[in-house]
Amino acid sequence: MNRSLAERSASRARPDASWQVMMQAAIREVFQLMVGTDIQPADPPPESPSGGVSAMVGMAGALCGVLRLRCSEQTAVSIATKMLGGHEPGALSDTCDAIGEISNMVAGNFKAKIAGLCDACMLSVPTVVVGVDYDVYSLASPERVEVSMTYEGQPLWVGLEISS
Amino acid sequence: MKGIRVLIVDDSAVMRKIVERCLRQAGIDVKEVIEAANGVEGLAAVQQGPMDLILSDINMPAMDGLEFLQGLRGLDNAKNTPVVMITTEGSESRVVEALSAGARGYIRKPFTPDQVKERVSPLLDGAR
Repeated sequence: MNRSLAERSASRARPDASWQVMMQAAIREVFQLMVGTDIQPADPPPESPSGGVSAMVGMAGALCGVLRLRCSEQTAVSIATKMLGGHEPGALSDTCDAIGEISNMVAGNFKAKIAGLCDACMLSVPTVVVGVDYDVYSLASPERVEVSMTYEGQPLWVGLEISS
Repeated sequence: MKGIRVLIVDDSAVMRKIVERCLRQAGIDVKEVIEAANGVEGLAAVQQGPMDLILSDINMPAMDGLEFLQGLRGLDNAKNTPVVMITTEGSESRVVEALSAGARGYIRKPFTPDQVKERVSPLLDGAR
């Protein structure tokens, strides 16, 4: 018998040191399969996230929070072009669509790797923000899992802010 | 099965293109692809004419993949059409729900052309 999401989410998932490794693995798998590119953890990691395209996916259930992927517009266009089989996206909306899908797959792939999270956590439809000069404020004091990657020499960040 | 007519339902236009490309790379003889951005558009497309195969996302605005499956049940056009769900969630309960509602298989994102072939080809063999 299927248990409801409320029942399954009764025990909250707590991040530990393995989550960063799981996140890196989730990102690399998505890029290998859907973009055809092997991306690596940044070494050394850049100081702070920046870039003009940010995709966000909400997570609710045993883990409540927001996964955010951020990169430059140039990187986003490159990713979208590869996803479209080498055809450059015709409009910014196509680029946002591609980055939104990538963030959605990273979130899904990540939660599938965490024991007890796959069935107990739902994802929202992605939201993509275009622009550089913005700040994100959370009403909770979130725990964070942050990963910096290098995509074809360019930085790409993925952060998971966990609010409960 | 030669020259099939496929309906791809996904709110992401990029993902619809990827699914189409994977079908072709998997060696499936696709004659025509009809795209829909959600379940409402998907049902309207099926009402216009029968499909040989339907691939549908689960998480979509307006009408999600599970509601779309329920809607297909009421259409004579879709009675024998295999439906394969494409999901990011990986949630077993959602997959079970989809299979109970009539889906013949599922593919988890991210996926490869080989995985698409593995799930889709058996559904097309001997379908005509």
